[in-house]
Amino acid sequence: MNPFEFEFMQRAFVACSIIAAVAPLVGSFIVQRGQSLVGDGMGHVAFAGVGVAFLFGADPVAGALASTLLAGLLLVRMGRAGLAGDVAIALIFYGGIALGFLLSARASTGQTRLVSLLFGSPLNLTWSEVSVIAGLAAVVVALVVILYPRLVAIAFDEQAARVAGVRTDRLVLALTLMVALVVVGGMTSIGLLLISAMMVVPVAAAAQIANSYRGTLVLAAAIGWFSAVAGLLASHYGDYAPGSAIVLAAIGCYLVASAWRPLARRMA
Amino acid sequence: MAFEAVAFAYGRTTVVRDVAFEVREGEFVAVVGANGSGKTTLMRLALGLLRPTAGQARLFGTDVAAFRDWGKVGYVPQRAVTASALPLSVEEVVWTGLAGRRGLLRRRLAADRARFDHVVDLLGLSDVRRSRMSELSGGQQQRALIARALVTAPRLVVMDEPTTGVDADARRILRESLEHLVHIEGIAVVYVSHDPEGFTGLADRVLEVDAGSVRVRTEPSTHAPGASADQPVPAP
Repeated sequence: MNPFEFEFMQRAFVACSIIAAVAPLVGSFIVQRGQSLVGDGMGHVAFAGVGVAFLFGADPVAGALASTLLAGLLLVRMGRAGLAGDVAIALIFYGGIALGFLLSARASTGQTRLVSLLFGSPLNLTWSEVSVIAGLAAVVVALVVILYPRLVAIAFDEQAARVAGVRTDRLVLALTLMVALVVVGGMTSIGLLLISAMMVVPVAAAAQIANSYRGTLVLAAAIGWFSAVAGLLASHYGDYAPGSAIVLAAIGCYLVASAWRPLARRMA
Repeated sequence: MAFEAVAFAYGRTTVVRDVAFEVREGEFVAVVGANGSGKTTLMRLALGLLRPTAGQARLFGTDVAAFRDWGKVGYVPQRAVTASALPLSVEEVVWTGLAGRRGLLRRRLAADRARFDHVVDLLGLSDVRRSRMSELSGGQQQRALIARALVTAPRLVVMDEPTTGVDADARRILRESLEHLVHIEGIAVVYVSHDPEGFTGLADRVLEVDAGSVRVRTEPSTHAPGASADQPVPAP
């Protein structure tokens, strides 16, 4: 039974391939800056926007986009004011998921719908939803390409980047907004609670093998794409939850890459 | 670089008080002092990474808060590279020095490429330019950071403890590079260190930082005999 014969599988492959390949591009910068959990927190905040959207009968993607962009702006402002401590950030992130569930329950949203947004439901995507994901991913890729030298500079050493003339505060804002776009783009396919894993795990795997930042980015995107395909195939043939299968496939890649590096050193 | 009655406090704790000095074109100034004396804070104020609570820090005659011509300034911070989460090649690290100068989506200029090759060669990094930073020795990593600071062809370079954690060989190469910068390229250098070995014979003046205050000493090795008496800080 060829999974590509089914249109719903075609949509799932397209959507998951795109977002799983693009997420590590942004993830590489947050991992290098020691902010690996920002994506996770943004997922929590996005859930608050989903709750508001359900309450008012609006599109949950639009709600998630609005809440994550707002949270991104707030976080950057707090950072500038020296208020972005661990506790303050935790309050925003946990407040987001609590508010999201509270509002969704008030809106009588079905549990199935909520679970599909939290853990992904790529097999139920429409072509219209796939095109929204592609659009968000295109914006993220364009920003990464345009800002790449500056993003590498602030990821490696923010203070030295400032002295090199990089407007770091604007760039940190752009990076935070890119994280928000990836979270919203991955919401319907891989899930709000799992998409952040695709920003981090493929990057961690690629970093075991690559010798440069650019090499890490390219390899991480390839690992993300491979994980999406492998996860969806596993989900098709083994009847597993697709979002979880994709993340577990990425973790499998990380384990293989971790074993590969010492082996390659020994052989060199 | 000039300080005019600069003071700085973290909360209620004053760490820099009423500092005034000037670094002139092509001058080599060493900044010495015990750990915690305020040397690094002083440099961060000079580069606009901290804002003075009183007074004014200037770069090339402009208040550092309004200064935009960052290509004239190179900075070698005091930090270890080995902790980097992702692999960066030496080339990539050096190119980040030009990140603020390149226009969005602009290709690298031939002049920038030539300058890049020059500094990589000057600092003895040609053989390792494609290597991972984390796999280099402390001295090679430090030289890569210095190359990053020099790639814009700056007129002023600030180095914060550049010999920390580097071996004798690397110190020798660093020393030779500094001599080239000062004597051949005429770059002003502000060299922060607790170890006089790195600047003896090179420094025109030594600024001694003690509990946030600064005294200036003229170095005997680069000036006429007898000119080494301690002096009060001159007005900029």
